[in-house]
Amino acid sequence: MTMSAQDFDPILRDQAEQVLRLMRAQGFDQAQVSVGWHRQSELNVAHNEPSLMRSTEQSRVSLLGLLDGRRASTELSSLDDVSLRHGVAELYAAAKAAPQDAANAVSANQRARIAQGPLEADPVLLADTMAELLAFRTRETPRFTLEEGATAHHLSQSHTLTTGGSDLASKAGWLSLSAFGTAREGDRASSFNYAGGDAHDWAGQSAEAWFGIGEMMRDTSQQIDTQRFNAKFVGEVVFTPNAVDDLLGWLLGQLGDAQLIAGSSLYRDQVGQVIASPLLGLTSRFAAPGVVPLSADAFNTAPISVLHEGRLQTLLPSLYGSRKTGLAHVPTTSGWEVAAGTTSRAELVGQVERGAIVGRLSMGMPAANGDFSGVIKNSFRIDGGVVGPALSEVMISGNIARMLKEILAVSRERLDTGGTVLPWLRIGGLHFS
Amino acid sequence: MSLNPPALSAPALLAGLQYSELRQHELRKSRVMMIDGNLTLNSRLSEGGTSARVYRDGYWGFASVPGTGAEATERVGRQSRDNVQAMARFGQRSSVVLPMGGYRGEHIYHGREALDQAEIQDRLGALNAWCKQRYPGLKSIRFVVSDEHHTKWLATSTGGQSLASIQRALCQVVFVGQSADGAPVELMEQVSGKGSLADIDWSIDTLAPQLDELHRHLRAKCEAVAARGGLQTVVLAPPLAGMLAHEAMGHPCEADIVLGGAVTSGLRGQRVASDLISMVDFAHHFQGQEVMIPVYADDEGTPARDAWLIKNGILTEFMNSRETAARLGASPTGSARAYGPSDEPLVRMRNTAILPGQSTLDEMIAGVDSGYLLMKTANGQADSTTEFMFGISLAYEINNGKLGPAIRDTTVSGSAIKVLQSVDAVSNDMHWSCSGYCGKKQPMVVSMGGPALRARAHMGGE
Repeated sequence: MTMSAQDFDPILRDQAEQVLRLMRAQGFDQAQVSVGWHRQSELNVAHNEPSLMRSTEQSRVSLLGLLDGRRASTELSSLDDVSLRHGVAELYAAAKAAPQDAANAVSANQRARIAQGPLEADPVLLADTMAELLAFRTRETPRFTLEEGATAHHLSQSHTLTTGGSDLASKAGWLSLSAFGTAREGDRASSFNYAGGDAHDWAGQSAEAWFGIGEMMRDTSQQIDTQRFNAKFVGEVVFTPNAVDDLLGWLLGQLGDAQLIAGSSLYRDQVGQVIASPLLGLTSRFAAPGVVPLSADAFNTAPISVLHEGRLQTLLPSLYGSRKTGLAHVPTTSGWEVAAGTTSRAELVGQVERGAIVGRLSMGMPAANGDFSGVIKNSFRIDGGVVGPALSEVMISGNIARMLKEILAVSRERLDTGGTVLPWLRIGGLHFS
Repeated sequence: MSLNPPALSAPALLAGLQYSELRQHELRKSRVMMIDGNLTLNSRLSEGGTSARVYRDGYWGFASVPGTGAEATERVGRQSRDNVQAMARFGQRSSVVLPMGGYRGEHIYHGREALDQAEIQDRLGALNAWCKQRYPGLKSIRFVVSDEHHTKWLATSTGGQSLASIQRALCQVVFVGQSADGAPVELMEQVSGKGSLADIDWSIDTLAPQLDELHRHLRAKCEAVAARGGLQTVVLAPPLAGMLAHEAMGHPCEADIVLGGAVTSGLRGQRVASDLISMVDFAHHFQGQEVMIPVYADDEGTPARDAWLIKNGILTEFMNSRETAARLGASPTGSARAYGPSDEPLVRMRNTAILPGQSTLDEMIAGVDSGYLLMKTANGQADSTTEFMFGISLAYEINNGKLGPAIRDTTVSGSAIKVLQSVDAVSNDMHWSCSGYCGKKQPMVVSMGGPALRARAHMGGE
């Protein structure tokens, strides 16, 4: 939804203009100023009972200043004149001390007016949603303790101006719902598990149906008693969307500034090449609930395809990363979706001779070359295509770059958590121990 | 932002309530990142706010706004009362009588005068140039320096009134090399401590021997072999024992996790570790020295005391807030902490450590026929079952009591109870760090410490 200029808070724009004038007067050659605030109304549950209602309000002034190619940035929470003048003066000193770098620049000639999502909090809706989830727990998954749960309304508004003439305003509201807990019977307990996400409204389905929360609570209730594999072998996994998110995070890191600038990205020279299974597609979802389609360096973001049939379509350098490396600038923010496949979840599992459904990966940061090993949590054994008992103390190891190539099937079902839409993936060649 | 006692005090909020607290909180952070001489991040954050939290009939109401002063205090007072009133729609909740008592005092860290940006960047530039000249074969060199300052003024309806600050600083160095097949190989060293970047020693002179060691380990890691997966004898170097203390048994001993059904809930008074293991969450001092994250009063105004989690292998107590203490029939430990101005206090660790023993690291390695020396960890995670995992970024094989080749990045995991019960040696030294964040709804600054441990744990590998 696009709103007209008068629908946006003129005070924020005035404040941003005032700070930009201050930056210019201080002597910055180029500057970017964002003024904004975030309000949140949140209902919390502790140990199956509503416990806390929380209202928070945060304001933020983000300043980026360039002086003769030298760069510094700061964030303040106060807009009072004394704080601003002090902050701008400190920023100037910081920029003056920074090394010169011709790659530093701010955005130019970008314009946006973006409004999306519910702009008003509805406390009754929050309470009803949580009451519905708690009733589901009592009725369907009584062994699951909702250790922490929250439902909230968020409203964020910001106005960004640059000396290059960019003028970007956004006002975004969204709802969130999350659940975290364990199942227990006597002195036996499952691993903790969680699910949650963001949406623009709660219409169309009951609370537990959102973000796979009900399925998570049911699965966790089946994970109180676990078994080990007690064997080392090379097998297959069915990654749930929660685990797929780890693969996605590693891949996006490889395509971003830090790895590109350091020269340690495995994909620096792979645009146009096949880097993953032809079953894998990855596109942006920059207007998702909780996401505003503007990049941190003040550009409008256009929809992009990152992987098409396994072929790398683009790298993701910011303006700075682009000017530093000579690669094309691709404005991005959060919000991604992996294309659906053609196989049902049941078929995906049925195809696994020996392995596991992996609910969650507990692991350290994968190595720069993609090597990883991790404990599989909230997971079930698969033998001969049949789902068996829940697992504990089972580790898998492999290499994420190789795993992307060894995706054997992609589910047609996907889990939409707002910021991501992800399928289940069947992947081969993992070492179990 | 300057912190001043608000015009409206917590007791003034109390009418019709069972408990209230008011907090003014200032958080300042700076972070500078240099990759191969390029300043890719040079940022500061200054955030201040006022919050109020009230308790009535088993429910909490919380509100926060930016800024301080009478108007901000009035707003959060009114909103927090409205919020607790709104909870009444859920009907009667089992209410507890919160323990009384409140700490009165001031604890402000007085460190050296902060470095200005020019000095920080000059030092980074010099470090980068020194590393480039001394280690010409590196593919990339990355530095991150950061510091973080929290100042909180707190008043509670139980008589607490305190002003406290926590400051910590960090310098990280990452070397990137290349394996024989051209793949990048990374390794990190870090220095962390109390205060600002002026208070920790990250001079070239001090770092040089550590960086030489880092480079030596990186070269070994470039030729690393895969770990053997499965149950192995491992010697955890002191930095890993601190992580074990925090992740593996620290989280399951947080009383809110206990109330949520962690397996520790039924284990108080029972053996959960070898009798060589004692583990404490220190409030503000260890062996007469102030710890890295000193907490004299928590964010509920409770006087903070050490929580003895494990004594000679026996699980003894949990870390508590006022509410969890009341629900468990325990005494509060001063463990309710809020990270930012708009965060409510949660049960959090402070300075969690396994206490030193009597062995030496060399003796512990010499006693292993086949196993691993685990030296560096990137991160870790815990579970309500006490099953834990750490990413291992540097480790060596041990064969017949001697160190063998380095192994590739892996993960170590296990049930903390089984692993701690298998400990057969604890070193007599101690390593403390306060470099990372603990994550549990909010981030949190914590420190962790420990000696080297020898145990049996599960290694990821082929």
